[in-house]
Amino acid sequence: MSLVYDEYGRPFIIIKEQEKKSRIKGIEAVKASILAAKTVARTCRSSLGPKGMDKMLQSPDGDVTITNDGATILEMMEVENQIGKLLVELSKSQDHEIGDGTTGVVVLAGALLEHAEALLDMGIHPLRVAEGYEMACKVATDNLEKIKSTFEFSKDDIEPLIKTCMTTLSSKIVGRLKRHMAEICVKAVVAVADLDRRDVNLDLIKVEGKVGGTMEDTRLVEGIVIDKDFSHPQMPKELKDVKLAILTCPFEPPKPKTKHKVEIDTVEKFEELRKQEQKYFTDMVQLCKDSGAGLIICQWGFDDEANHLLMHEGLPAVRWVGGVEIELLAMATGGRIVPRFSELTPEKLGFAKSVTEISFGTTKDKMLVIEGCPNLKAVTIFVRGGNKMVLDEIKRSLHDAICVARNLVRDNSIIYGGGASEISCSLAVEAAAHEVVGDVQYAMRAFADALEAVPLALAENSGLPPIESLTAVRKRQMEENNPYLGIDCNDIGTNDMREQNVFETFLSKRQQLFLATQVCKMILKIDDVIKPSEYE
Amino acid sequence: MMPGFGMQPQIILLKEGTDTSQGTPQLLSNINACMAVADAVRTTLGPRGMDKLIHNSQGKVTISNDGATIMKLLEIVHPAAKSLVDVSLSQDAEVGDGTTSVVILSGELLKEAKPFIEEGAHPRNIIKAYRMASTLAVSKIKELSISLGGTVEEKKDLLKKCAMTTLNSKLVSGEKEFFAQMVVDAVSKLDPVTLDLKLIGIKKVQGGGLRDSFLVDGVAFKKTFSYAGFEQQPKSFDHPKVLLLNMELEIKSERENAEIRLEDPAQYQSIVDAEWNIIYEKLAKCVESGAQIVLSRLAIGDLATQYFADRNIFCAGRVEVNDLERVAKATGARVQTTVNGLSAESAKSFLGTCARFEERQVGAERYNLLTGCPNARTATIVLRGGSEQFIDEADRSLHDAIMIVRRALKHSEVVAGGGAIEMEVSKALREHSLTHTSKAQLFIKAFAKALEVIPRQLCNNAGFDATDVLSKLRQKHGQTDGTGRNFGVDVNTGGVVDTYNAFVWEPSLVKLNAIASATEAACLILSVDETVRNPKSENPDGQGMPAGGRGRGRGMGRGRGMRR
Repeated sequence: MSLVYDEYGRPFIIIKEQEKKSRIKGIEAVKASILAAKTVARTCRSSLGPKGMDKMLQSPDGDVTITNDGATILEMMEVENQIGKLLVELSKSQDHEIGDGTTGVVVLAGALLEHAEALLDMGIHPLRVAEGYEMACKVATDNLEKIKSTFEFSKDDIEPLIKTCMTTLSSKIVGRLKRHMAEICVKAVVAVADLDRRDVNLDLIKVEGKVGGTMEDTRLVEGIVIDKDFSHPQMPKELKDVKLAILTCPFEPPKPKTKHKVEIDTVEKFEELRKQEQKYFTDMVQLCKDSGAGLIICQWGFDDEANHLLMHEGLPAVRWVGGVEIELLAMATGGRIVPRFSELTPEKLGFAKSVTEISFGTTKDKMLVIEGCPNLKAVTIFVRGGNKMVLDEIKRSLHDAICVARNLVRDNSIIYGGGASEISCSLAVEAAAHEVVGDVQYAMRAFADALEAVPLALAENSGLPPIESLTAVRKRQMEENNPYLGIDCNDIGTNDMREQNVFETFLSKRQQLFLATQVCKMILKIDDVIKPSEYE
Repeated sequence: MMPGFGMQPQIILLKEGTDTSQGTPQLLSNINACMAVADAVRTTLGPRGMDKLIHNSQGKVTISNDGATIMKLLEIVHPAAKSLVDVSLSQDAEVGDGTTSVVILSGELLKEAKPFIEEGAHPRNIIKAYRMASTLAVSKIKELSISLGGTVEEKKDLLKKCAMTTLNSKLVSGEKEFFAQMVVDAVSKLDPVTLDLKLIGIKKVQGGGLRDSFLVDGVAFKKTFSYAGFEQQPKSFDHPKVLLLNMELEIKSERENAEIRLEDPAQYQSIVDAEWNIIYEKLAKCVESGAQIVLSRLAIGDLATQYFADRNIFCAGRVEVNDLERVAKATGARVQTTVNGLSAESAKSFLGTCARFEERQVGAERYNLLTGCPNARTATIVLRGGSEQFIDEADRSLHDAIMIVRRALKHSEVVAGGGAIEMEVSKALREHSLTHTSKAQLFIKAFAKALEVIPRQLCNNAGFDATDVLSKLRQKHGQTDGTGRNFGVDVNTGGVVDTYNAFVWEPSLVKLNAIASATEAACLILSVDETVRNPKSENPDGQGMPAGGRGRGRGMGRGRGMRR
């Protein structure tokens, strides 16, 4: 920060470590912010749409991630610039709230700022621009309300949900198998959804993955998959119609929590103690046996002695199962979590139709699949893929699709994708702009132009001539007054998104508009940046 | 400075390197520093005010428009300029809004005083006149303020207008009506006597648009850490009974340092059983009381979680103190520190209730909501927004608005905003000054001129020609019939407008406090004619600073500086 001098030429220090801070003020600050934001947005642009490209990101410790999910890209980029960080957070919050459309929102925000820059050069007050954007945003969301359509679905008729999820997945690595994947996601969501309250707890959908196999092997397990195997190699690999005891106590003599010491002074006492310990083991196993359990799931470990006894009694067991899995298992099988052996009763047991241990190819990895649970309130999606990077990306894609399905359960309105809604909103905003007098009109027109960034990027990424395709669709939308026309990214031959079955959720699109406008306003409103200069 | 007498040794009075400046130059230098600080926040005033992005050395970033926040974050070390920070903070604590205006006003008062000082006027004279002017201004504001009467419903509407004026200059201005309504609703939930601010909880959940923010008529808190078994608990109740605890429900040793010695191995089991019995007894007591929701400030362990799940009871451990207190206020439950004495008969005395309890997904988080509480003396605002900084700023803005509404509820008098009141007071002071024959005439006029800085800055920030607008305003306010006295700046068109009719209202308390404290600060600075600064405080990074606890943080900074 520059020094201040008084009349007598003496510098005076007002701010702590003044000389180490840098400061940009006024319109320069706004422009610098816009530049930073634009750069970040540009990175994401090429990932948009069904033909979007992926990014490869290497973390400092050498882990490689390949993805085209906007939120993930931005997060891994580790943006340093504060304004850039705002965009990262923007994408993140879209991810948290909606789970999909994370790239679109950044592209839109970048475009809005780019157009704002031109307006600032014309001498329009940044806040007037922001206000214009806010007004335009309102027009656009109203327009979305108008063009949205709702569809009905029920637990039995999930076809519409699948179609919408397919749109999301089409831009991802799993695009090839989008039908298969979409079905899995929708089934999973419907299984755990509370349709009356329109609430979906995503914690109940577990996504497990194992490297190997092909994407086609990915499947929905109507139950739980746990990354564990039976405690004894000789235990049966497959169990049918089995009752499970879910235990949170270890197979060992109980220990008081208070510090304790047992004083042994005679041989007899020692013998007694040893006997007692042994008795604990046999009692524990016997209690399990008596309750009628056919499989023991234990949160803790047990030593070889217990293992041997269990094996001897023909009681298969699984040890070291994590707390989360325990909980999901309990929910799925309808069992109760039992904290000590003496409380084990037949009513507290869960039930599963089949429990199988599966192994993969030549590796030693084994997993347990517990299926056919009476209470379908917890499900697992079991993902297979060629390598770890692919696997991770599939998981991310599925997460997006699951979120889309969840949003539809929450609000079953959809709008048409492929840039159709953006073009329609752009037309609506432009029409509204003509009725406003003053610099706000310019801002609204800029907003309308910025909205076209999404279809433009879509066309560009799909290898179509961007301007021609966009203008052609615009013209047709105007003439036919048909808001369902979008960019034909997949080269199917029609621009009507209803025929192409390209849907997006209404919530997601509205959220994109809101968030992008908000962030723009925030960035435009900053006219003074004070930071430690060594940061640069 | 200390000329030695002949051969006499020099007398060293102060530590070497101490900076003592005195007299008029020092006074002027102080004024300059204050003006520089006031300049820093100048642009944030009003509906067209801009924000500041401040990046501190720890890398934390704040984007704000709130005067007090900015002043705090600037880390001002200049001793005189620091007093401006204090003014702003005290305005924040006292009224909650107008923190920018007060800094600008004191800066302007000093600026007006500067030429007089340069010409040799005695600061004391100026101080005296300023004090007089301030008293006059305060009484004038009191005279001009309009009392908000009417029924509760009408009053609510008026309060909303006040809140809207505050929110005008903030980032959330696009949704000011929505938030003003929310703030008024929240404040009117409070106990009208104490209006305890703590009872309005503001929860921030990233994601969603501003419009997705909502007001919970009761308490909302984030789902706490839960153990296995939690998901098996019921997640919604109608008219549940709520039990609040401040104790652990976990199996653990009763005493940390106790040790048990066993002679006979057979006793072993009895110790184990005893421990289990202790926890089971506690749990049984909770269940017996008939509670359906158990909340505790301390941990509720996995055993307890599963126990409650078996009995269809919802529980949450490690609930934050504030939240727990608010639940207590809302539901009428009493926080228990022991379960001894809980029984079905006495349940009425400690269990609370509400109309509905449910766990709901908000953004990426799950929230527990207790709504429709019988003695709802509390409310929770759940804020949503695109990024952390955004929500933080929205939080600060709402805080301002809440303070204003709170204040306005107590002192329901408002004045016209948009610089109208300042213009009117300024006019009154000008007229008054002519009754003086002494130097005070000039100084009071200066004070009157300084007041005009508020409308002027409003215009400047909006990009209008301030001189033009001010002249128009002066003309309006100069009308003898008094019809023009509510005219202020119209930031939308660049003209003037009757701001009272345009519903740009501010509680008179804000203005009263702003003028009084700005004058105080200005007078304080004017009355200083010597600064004795220890070398340490002037240059905290300087050499020879004793290493100590205080120096550690700065030491790091120094190390960085040297490497470069």
